[in-house]
Amino acid sequence: MKKTALLIIAVLGILLLRAAEDLPFWGDPQSPASVHLSDYYLEESYEETSVPNIVTSVLADYRGYDTMFETVVIFCAGITVLIVLRRTHRRRAKVISPRPERPGADIILQTAARLLVPMMQLFALYVVAHGHHSPGGGFQGGVILGSSLILLALSYDIQMALHRFKEKLVLLFSAGGVLLYAAIGLACLFLGRNFLAYGAWAALLGISEPEAHSHGMLGVEIGVAITVLCIMFSLYIDLASGGDLDEGL
Amino acid sequence: MSLEQHAIIIILAPLVGSLLISLFGGLHRRLSYLLLVACLGISFASTIATLRLVAARAAIGPLHYYLGDWPPPYGIELVIDPLNALVLTMIAGISLLVAIYSKEMARRDNPDRLHHYYTLFALLVAGLLGITASGDVFNIYVLTEISALASYALLARGRGFAYYATFKYIIMGTIGASLYLLGVGYLYIKTGTLNIAELPTFINSSGLVDSVSIRVAFILIMVGLWIKMAFFPLHGWLPNAYTRAATTTSCLVAPLMTKVSVYVMIRVMLGVFTLPYIYHVMGWNRAVVWLASLAIVAGSIGALAQTNIKRMLTYIIVAEVGYMVGGAWLGNAAGLTGAIYHIVSDGLMTACLFMAVGAITYKTGDSSLEAMRGVFRRMPVTAALFVVGALAMIGIPPTCGFFSKWYLIQGGLVAGHYGFVGALLLSSLINAVLFFRLFEIGYYAPFDTEGTPPRGHGTTVVDEAPFSMLMPLLISAVMIIVVGLSTSRIVSGLIQYSLPAGL
Repeated sequence: MKKTALLIIAVLGILLLRAAEDLPFWGDPQSPASVHLSDYYLEESYEETSVPNIVTSVLADYRGYDTMFETVVIFCAGITVLIVLRRTHRRRAKVISPRPERPGADIILQTAARLLVPMMQLFALYVVAHGHHSPGGGFQGGVILGSSLILLALSYDIQMALHRFKEKLVLLFSAGGVLLYAAIGLACLFLGRNFLAYGAWAALLGISEPEAHSHGMLGVEIGVAITVLCIMFSLYIDLASGGDLDEGL
Repeated sequence: MSLEQHAIIIILAPLVGSLLISLFGGLHRRLSYLLLVACLGISFASTIATLRLVAARAAIGPLHYYLGDWPPPYGIELVIDPLNALVLTMIAGISLLVAIYSKEMARRDNPDRLHHYYTLFALLVAGLLGITASGDVFNIYVLTEISALASYALLARGRGFAYYATFKYIIMGTIGASLYLLGVGYLYIKTGTLNIAELPTFINSSGLVDSVSIRVAFILIMVGLWIKMAFFPLHGWLPNAYTRAATTTSCLVAPLMTKVSVYVMIRVMLGVFTLPYIYHVMGWNRAVVWLASLAIVAGSIGALAQTNIKRMLTYIIVAEVGYMVGGAWLGNAAGLTGAIYHIVSDGLMTACLFMAVGAITYKTGDSSLEAMRGVFRRMPVTAALFVVGALAMIGIPPTCGFFSKWYLIQGGLVAGHYGFVGALLLSSLINAVLFFRLFEIGYYAPFDTEGTPPRGHGTTVVDEAPFSMLMPLLISAVMIIVVGLSTSRIVSGLIQYSLPAGL
């Protein structure tokens, strides 16, 4: 078995090395990937979407359909972990038993967390909102928001974090984030344009088309952030407690 | 909304449906079932509308739907031609049937979190429909991830060693998807585009036709897809994962997942690399057809060795994947027609057989060969419909199974590949042995019904599966015959237009 694996790896390695000889040089401005589409995005995207950060406009507008499904992948992963771990009717021996006795609450840890969590959340909101102008956006902001909750659960315990953010709400918002994304796209369809053609919002909001694109992107980024936040937290509480939500790591 | 919007509604209906099920399904016991059937019904209606639209303009060209109104290659587009319109209709139709069928069984298998089970059910269907409709190689990858993730979760919710079997599938499936993605990455770095309509001209341009990395991309994409479709010898994960799964899951996953991977393979072969590139630049088509012949023989022999009906069917799937890969790689019109036609007919046959076995399991609690005892007496309708599916699998006219074999064998003869023809005939023969053994057990083997002696007459109580299971089963069996009888219309009205010109 090990020899077969070695053989497969060797063949794959040779294939990849052979292919690597043929690839364009790192950062080559004349490589096909740099000349075919990039010029268009660099020259036109600000005119068309009024978003200076081209990464955001490609991700959330030109290829917004992909990004919607990326968000669905995250949602799907959350539900997958939930359905596998969190079964209410079952007889399950605790895998990690006996657990170490929890030492008493650590005041340094908890105070630090209490100071950090609001700052993290504020910064996360900035990252979401400022994705149009600088690196950032819904995925990054959502992860920071999610980790602020995980920090709370780590420094106190899962019960405390769940008390602040009930599991039912977590699940509600995780679907709600994707639904917000899809709804913004669907509205364009009902306004007589194609799915995710944010320009359709222009007449409704009384703004120009490029501005409508910018607003549409902000809307979907918020949807992404909500889903990522909820799924991050949901994954942590399910994995850390083996699906029982009683105690964490 | 114009008629063309149906193209996106096909995918959005199950997607939005899954979100609604996840939000509101927990409120009432029946709500998630109703939502699922409703959203898949809308999706199916849209596929029919799209199919009619595409068939009407088959000679003109495919239907393009620009997402976000961005013209390709800057944005993503859905491209619906006769080939994927046919596959979309098959996927939406079968998933709707399985959704209706799941009424009793899914509730029994999922005492908790039924609405999350249905959420993933709808997501899986959305993923499969999205893969099929897409005109962008990276978009296909993203949607593959959705359908794969959902299928892992659904399969893991089975019996016994389901977790272990699914874990193997996760590893294999992830490797397959990674290889595909790596191949797409090479294509992008060499051509600068991900749009399927644009790729062939780049790949066959004088600068790239000899490029090593494009060839490596082709190999990686093919091997990745072969893992995903369980093409011999990469099929190891399939029988365990599918056998251990809960009934509704296997009814959904078995007919659709492998078929969609076969569709993507055919799309990549015809649409991205084009046949001249594959046959003249790569030139291992004969070797692949031999491998496919081996897959057919190995799958059929594997099926002979099984004592569990469901497991036997999973080995037949492995053999059927060999049919389609072999047909596609024969490289002539008859072989390709057979492979494309077989995607639809195999989907229907597999769905019919799995649903029939599921109904028997529902009543007997068992899916071993013994469960067939007395089935013709106890469950006459289910048994009769099982026979229809089995006859299709063997390839008896006028079922659709006969016509796909007809085209495939014709393709083998035209290409002069007698090994493939021999494998097809052998597999039909083995299928006949397999299913007639089941009929024999079902018809003649003695069986107990409480208190009555074996071979007792007249006292046997008919104990049929519920209507919600019989109705979809009946429709799938009828469709097997209807599709068989309308073969010439399907081939001349749809499949003919999806073959490359001059073949």
